[in-house]
Amino acid sequence: MATWLIGEFREKDAVASAIQSLRATGVGDKDMDVFSEEPVEFHKGVLDRPSNMALASVIGAIIFGGGATLLMRAAQYNYAVVTGGMPTFSFWGTGVITYETTMMGAVFSTFGYFLWESGIIRKRDKTAPVPAVPPESICLRIRCAGDAQKQKTILQNAGAKVLP
Amino acid sequence: MSTNAEHPELLPYGKIREDLFRPLSGLSQKYAAAIFIPLLVILFGAYAWTVQLRVGMGVTGLQRPVFWGFYIVDFVFWIGISHAGTLISAILRLTDAGWRKPITRAAEAITLFALMIGGMFPIIHLGRAWRFYWLIPYPNMRLLWPNFRSPLLWDLTAILTYVTGSAIYLYLPLIPDMAQLAEHSVPWRRKLYRALSIGWTGSDTEWHALERAMKLMAGIILAVAISVHTVVAWDFAMAIAPMWHSTIFGPYFVVGAIFSGLAGLMIVMAAIRKFMGLEQYLTRHHFDNLAKLLLLMSILWLYFTLAEHLTVWYGNDPGEMAVFGARTRARFSFLFWLMFAVNFVIPFILLGIRKLRSITTGVIASFGILLGMFLERYIIVVPTLSVTRLPAATSAFYTPSWVELAITAATFAAMIFLYLIFSKLFPIIAVWEFKPHPHEDEA
Amino acid sequence: MAHRWGMAIDLDRCTGCEACVAACHAENNIPIGNPEQAAIGRTNHWIRVDRYYEGEFPDVKLKYMPVLCQQCDEAPCEPVCPTLATYHNPEGLNVQVYNRCVGTFYCANNCPYTVRYFNWFDPVWPEPMQLQHNPDVAVRMAGVMEKCTFCIQRIKRGKDESAADGQPLADGDIQPACVQSCPAEAMVFGDLNDPESKVSRLAESSRAKRLLEELGTKPKVFYLERGR
Repeated sequence: MATWLIGEFREKDAVASAIQSLRATGVGDKDMDVFSEEPVEFHKGVLDRPSNMALASVIGAIIFGGGATLLMRAAQYNYAVVTGGMPTFSFWGTGVITYETTMMGAVFSTFGYFLWESGIIRKRDKTAPVPAVPPESICLRIRCAGDAQKQKTILQNAGAKVLP
Repeated sequence: MSTNAEHPELLPYGKIREDLFRPLSGLSQKYAAAIFIPLLVILFGAYAWTVQLRVGMGVTGLQRPVFWGFYIVDFVFWIGISHAGTLISAILRLTDAGWRKPITRAAEAITLFALMIGGMFPIIHLGRAWRFYWLIPYPNMRLLWPNFRSPLLWDLTAILTYVTGSAIYLYLPLIPDMAQLAEHSVPWRRKLYRALSIGWTGSDTEWHALERAMKLMAGIILAVAISVHTVVAWDFAMAIAPMWHSTIFGPYFVVGAIFSGLAGLMIVMAAIRKFMGLEQYLTRHHFDNLAKLLLLMSILWLYFTLAEHLTVWYGNDPGEMAVFGARTRARFSFLFWLMFAVNFVIPFILLGIRKLRSITTGVIASFGILLGMFLERYIIVVPTLSVTRLPAATSAFYTPSWVELAITAATFAAMIFLYLIFSKLFPIIAVWEFKPHPHEDEA
Repeated sequence: MAHRWGMAIDLDRCTGCEACVAACHAENNIPIGNPEQAAIGRTNHWIRVDRYYEGEFPDVKLKYMPVLCQQCDEAPCEPVCPTLATYHNPEGLNVQVYNRCVGTFYCANNCPYTVRYFNWFDPVWPEPMQLQHNPDVAVRMAGVMEKCTFCIQRIKRGKDESAADGQPLADGDIQPACVQSCPAEAMVFGDLNDPESKVSRLAESSRAKRLLEELGTKPKVFYLERGR
């Protein structure tokens, strides 16, 4: 149903200008994907991917650490045994565990959110072709919106070898 | 040619891939021997442990009052070595030091394996090791919970967090390399790499997510690493034993850990460079930087040791002075001054004098430092326990038995073994991180 | 009012005969060691007599004191056990639960009096010593930490008997094996919460001191010594 176009570029700047031209013809950010064997850094505004990973990390950390602290508190009151005159539950006595479980929560949520945000564990569009990127090249894949021929021309003008 | 020697990332891309993926195929006789001997040592160590489990802790050299000996020294030592990866990978990544790039994966692998090995010791040293799982808080029929106030529970949580974090931190940058290797010629490798690449396609969404995750993980793992060795230090500092109950122990152990980790890293780097033919990638520049860091840590270690001992000597508390005397003048003095020599004097000479600084002298200094840091852990654990507050209970000299020595040797063999397997399965230098995109404006 | 068990040891009466040590061995099924193990420091005496020599011959002064678990009210061994194998019971005893111990040794390292003993091997008694085991006391396996319990089995028996009789516990009804066996009657055991008990009165004596008091462990064994 959707037409896919893949352009092979050798220059990062060419990709950037192609992306900007394509956006003008109506291709959205979600329909454009840049494939490469190393990360490609564009200037701000070319193809931004906003992310909530840091927030997810913090939230996961707080939930896990808070949960562990509550578990410790419940456990220590449930099995209340006097040791060396210490109070049954003291934040200081178990603060290290609170800290470590907070960090563990951050680790899990960062990794989990990475898997989700990258699309690895999300359902992929099976019809979208994955280009085999030749060494030292960058591939730009777009889902055509509207005038496919015009978009193909833009890619070719930018210097790409266009694959069907 | 000289440019390539200093800037290996300027080598042609195809050559880099070939060089770094070559070790993943084929099996030489040298490799087979190199992996067989550690395996034998590991098996002997495992046998020694079964003897200990069957007969009892009496087969060790432990005694009243020296209830912690070689196993705890090994534990602290290996957890210390694990700080190699954190320093290189996390700190240098956060400060964007480019020279770290060919070293990060090797360092992270050291971290993970050292943690796995070190993490065995809290189980190995137990009198009833088969009941180690009682330290884990799980709902049980006896309605019992562990004691979260105990520093050993803090240890458990800290090390679990660090192992999980390190494993994920090692795995994340491995994913793109796994995708590149997914078309390998050997079928079982193809299956393995394809599985580990979890469907990585190399799209910019994936790259952005990966880089963000790695940046976050670098910060998290740094925070965890500092806390882990602090918590291990607090196993001692929370006790009221003389010369253990010291506030300096937290930072002291972290510094010592980074110090020993760097030394371990230098040895591993030199070995990789030599045996995997990576002279063009691990240049003198890298070793020079590592040597300077090692020198810095040596001086820092000296500072902490001096601060610790000076305050004890000046304070003249009888309980502490008894231990101080045992360390510096009496029974343990030979080990103490040997530790000083190999931890500070020799590295200062070999690494501080520029003419003497080279890869070979760096490795010699590093071996000395590993010995010195092992001795330092021994000097911290055993003298305090040997010299009791009630003098009548002070003991005969603790000597490790064959069981403890066998298990200790097995851990070093296990490190070599695991590392050899790792270097055969995965590229030891992260190809995509190492080679910036040829059309990057900022390298 | 709950009991709070304490002990007073009169060092001016103690002759260092070690009858308390032998009695403790017999009462508590303590494994018998051998000379090789003793030479490397693996003795197991829940109560031991520590000896200190001062001066040169012929002006030698010998001091000795029986040292046993001080049953500290703020015991440093208790908070560090990860499995709660040692804890403080409501009667003030520092209880050691053998089947909860996994053998981390932390409690023994933290005890300033070095009164905790470890079972390095499974216990052996040369024939026919195993026939004199006390059925009220568990036999510990290798890997478990142990120490003086103030003969908790005798405390329990005393309380059970007084409950069965309907008579309240009198001072001196319960005596741990060491206290019972001392020929010089140097050791006194009783309820510190009972102001009339012998141990409470001795604890308030001007001769009473506690070991390593400055550590804040609040031990409940009072050593009586002629003041200097």
